[in-house]
Amino acid sequence: MPHARRIPVVKRSLGSWILDGNLPWQGLLLGVIGLFIATRVLPLEMQKRIVNEAIGRREVDLLLVYCGTYLAAVVLASACKYGIQVIETLIAQRTLARMRRALLEHALRLPLSFFRENPPGSVVNAVVNELAVPSNFVGAAVSTPLSNLLTLLAFAGYLLWLNPLLAVISLATYPLAMIVLPLLQRGANRANQKRVDLSRTFAGRIAEAFTGIHEIHGHAAFGVEQKRFEDLIERLRKVRIVWGLFRYGVKSANNFFTSLGPFVVFLLGGWLTIRGQLELGALVAFLSAQEKLYDPWKELIEFYQVYQDGKVTYRRTMEFFDVEAPVAVAPPDRPPLQLDGRLEVRRLDFLTETGLRLLQDIRLSLRPGEHLALVGFSGSGKSTLALCLAQLHAVAEGRIFLGGHDIARLSKRDIAANLGLVSQHPFLFEGTLRDNLLYACEALEAAAPRPSLDDVIAVLHQTGLFADVLQFGLNTPLDPRRHAAIGPGLIRVRRKFQEKYGARFAEVVEFFDASAYLEHSSIAENLLFGTAQRPEFEPARLAANDWMLDFLNREGLLHRLVNIGIRLARQTVDILGNLPAERVFFAQSPMSPEELPRFRRTLERLRRRSPEEPPSREETLALLELALRFTPGVHKTLELGEELRGRLLTARANLRRALAAEQPQAVAFHDAEAVLPFQPILKNILFGNTPPAPPKVQEEMLQTVIQLLIEKDLLEAIVGIGLEANVGSHGEKLSGGQQQKLAIARVLLKSPRILILDEATSALDNRSQARIQNLLETRWKGRCTVVAVVHRLDIVRHYDRIAVMKAGKIVEIGSWQELMERKGALYELAGKR
Amino acid sequence: MNSPASDDPVGGESSEYEENLEILRQIDFFSGFPLESLKVFAYLGTRRRFRAGEFLFEQGEEDASAFAVIGGRLRLERRSEGPPQTIRFYGPGDFIGGLSLLCECRRLYSLRAEERTVCFVLDQEKFAKALEQFPAQIPRLLQTVVQSITRWEEDFLAEMTEACGRCLPRLGVSLL
Repeated sequence: MPHARRIPVVKRSLGSWILDGNLPWQGLLLGVIGLFIATRVLPLEMQKRIVNEAIGRREVDLLLVYCGTYLAAVVLASACKYGIQVIETLIAQRTLARMRRALLEHALRLPLSFFRENPPGSVVNAVVNELAVPSNFVGAAVSTPLSNLLTLLAFAGYLLWLNPLLAVISLATYPLAMIVLPLLQRGANRANQKRVDLSRTFAGRIAEAFTGIHEIHGHAAFGVEQKRFEDLIERLRKVRIVWGLFRYGVKSANNFFTSLGPFVVFLLGGWLTIRGQLELGALVAFLSAQEKLYDPWKELIEFYQVYQDGKVTYRRTMEFFDVEAPVAVAPPDRPPLQLDGRLEVRRLDFLTETGLRLLQDIRLSLRPGEHLALVGFSGSGKSTLALCLAQLHAVAEGRIFLGGHDIARLSKRDIAANLGLVSQHPFLFEGTLRDNLLYACEALEAAAPRPSLDDVIAVLHQTGLFADVLQFGLNTPLDPRRHAAIGPGLIRVRRKFQEKYGARFAEVVEFFDASAYLEHSSIAENLLFGTAQRPEFEPARLAANDWMLDFLNREGLLHRLVNIGIRLARQTVDILGNLPAERVFFAQSPMSPEELPRFRRTLERLRRRSPEEPPSREETLALLELALRFTPGVHKTLELGEELRGRLLTARANLRRALAAEQPQAVAFHDAEAVLPFQPILKNILFGNTPPAPPKVQEEMLQTVIQLLIEKDLLEAIVGIGLEANVGSHGEKLSGGQQQKLAIARVLLKSPRILILDEATSALDNRSQARIQNLLETRWKGRCTVVAVVHRLDIVRHYDRIAVMKAGKIVEIGSWQELMERKGALYELAGKR
Repeated sequence: MNSPASDDPVGGESSEYEENLEILRQIDFFSGFPLESLKVFAYLGTRRRFRAGEFLFEQGEEDASAFAVIGGRLRLERRSEGPPQTIRFYGPGDFIGGLSLLCECRRLYSLRAEERTVCFVLDQEKFAKALEQFPAQIPRLLQTVVQSITRWEEDFLAEMTEACGRCLPRLGVSLL
């Protein structure tokens, strides 16, 4: 049914999905169903023959033949049933996938106004949850009614053949059911309709609340939100109960009607058999067939419910999305246009859905490469105009021409191929920096070449993102397999850094030296002097590692460390015991605020006990863990004596030997000539700890590292690794400034002919903002038409023209010089600042 | 457990925290505070090393830290026109910037290390957080501050009134 694809998905009937694309599968089903019916009727006839012929005539051979046939039929029937269900599931899942695909494709193209009115959660619910029921119906739409109806007819025919009178009377209950059941189902449908709507609203509310979770936390509005949910939860509860009551009502009524059948057969059939008018074998077969009627009938009724639920859910879901997309996504019969940078606006008006006039009689004309700044008070319509130019708002009156083409007639792809938009609050998607940078280019598919790494790096430099990406790269843990290629280079940089700059940065870097105690590493890390390769050798889990306990005991360190643990616990509880659990107090403590009460109790128990009585095993392990965390450079309440440092260093060497002999794969020891697996790349280069230092010195050290990376030709590789860093959901791992820089970079990468900037640099610091401004002036003036909504007047001076907006109108337009001389609106605006 | 190590498992000298506590106990500014709160200040403070020539803070900077000199030598200077004027030097035992623990203010002077210097540094944020836990100490603290201002002016009046001349009308900081 190729025509079905041309109808928008929201206009398609549920029935249209049954055959579309599923024809071979449905055909196969018909074949299997035919076989199935035959295998279901055959046992009935066998039953009769076994009783009447084999048993009646006492013929064992016949008994074996009939029983064998019976068994074969039953086995085949089960296989057919399984086959039918498999094919049904296949059809249902194929249909679900196709419905989702089609609906998402449609939903993505809907106008922005749709998403303003409907929260994302309701869309999620419709696509994720609601389509499952209708697709289940589609899966069963051919096979279930067909197989069950045929079975039913076959059984009924068989019964009529056995005894017409008995058959007619015992089947009389079914028509009765067919009158009552739809009445109940109608009630279920009404409830289901309400349920679908409520679920959508509920999902929308949840998604909205969690998107604005910072506001909820900020205002501590937990109660308010809970109350808003409460009403919906309650209504949903009630409607689901009503729905359930009707559904189970249908089932129970059906059970009742079908149970009436055997009653009639026993009464009438028994009477006929007693009077010799019916053979006993026939009565057995009759009873058996009567009972078998129940299954297909039950399945038919269940199918009827699936159909009704599916129909209601499908209709409600499709109606929800039945909004027309205002412009075509891609031109149907040509590649996207290549426009020049001319931009013209003729008598543009923009009205909101409620009829509020946000823009009035806007007229503009820009030459290719001309730069225009839109300024004005907030609410003057600057951003609205910018979004109209980018075709994100449908225009009510007036026209906008890009490169001489009316944008109302251009497809989305025509616009995207020529125009770049950077919004004030750009959105980044979960994925890597690279994914986000290439987002706009990838969207153009074949219409633009994929940028090379050089292009990407050039744009990173231009937008000031390079240092950020490099930092991400340096912070990435080194994966010995994925990053194998840079390993040897990193070791060379490490060697050079130590030789040439080791002394200069001695205060900023504590180099790993197997013969020195590390002030900025914990006791556990000092003992291991390496990276754990197995989880039980992670520093934090060492105290729970029996092998390690045994080792510490052999070294005579266990008791001593436990005593250090006691001392640390005592001091921490003494100093911080009465303070609130705030970071500022616990930053320099080996103990977290959550652990403090437990250690307080341990100390209390120890105090009450006699000195000979040792702490319990659990207490010992907790105290040992605390001691193993002790880091002299961070925790200032203890001073490790020379003798203990010496003992720990000896233990370090012994541990290395013991591990090599007994646990060879447990720890990768720090080796100046090998990489530190799964440690940050910067740490791999420095081969040491970086204690806190003044920012100036840290910056100096970082610059030195970068210089060495350039010398060894590794900088690009590290930037490449940095580009693989995940930005988190909504780009949460990036600062506001980094997000904006990334948004600018991703648009610049596709080299648009027209650039719309909607306060695109508002989150940047002065230096970064100046850099972007400089970029626009030096590289983009004359090459790319720019319309920039600007809040800060100090950066508009160099725009070719400035349009000042007030209450939806452009009140004056001209160069900075002209407008300042005119002493009009811009002058006033500048004066107010 | 009953080995001699149980008394001193680390075998080290006094810890940085214990030294910090000792330093705080010598400082007038903290004289009103009970030991319980001094322990918290000693715990939250950090030790910082400054190279010769390095500024601890600069004139005009918004900054809020107090410094207790442990070793080395610091020079206090003020710039107006011409080369900076040296006001005085600080050495071990001196405490600078108690008032900035109460509020972040613009620095009127620059303080820089003359030689390699080690200081105990307490910043206003940590101090304020800790002070919230000991509200009963605030009146005592204010009393100490006022007393030290008055004492300062007393000394000033005793030594400088004769030579003061034009600055006479500006006297009376203790009347603020």
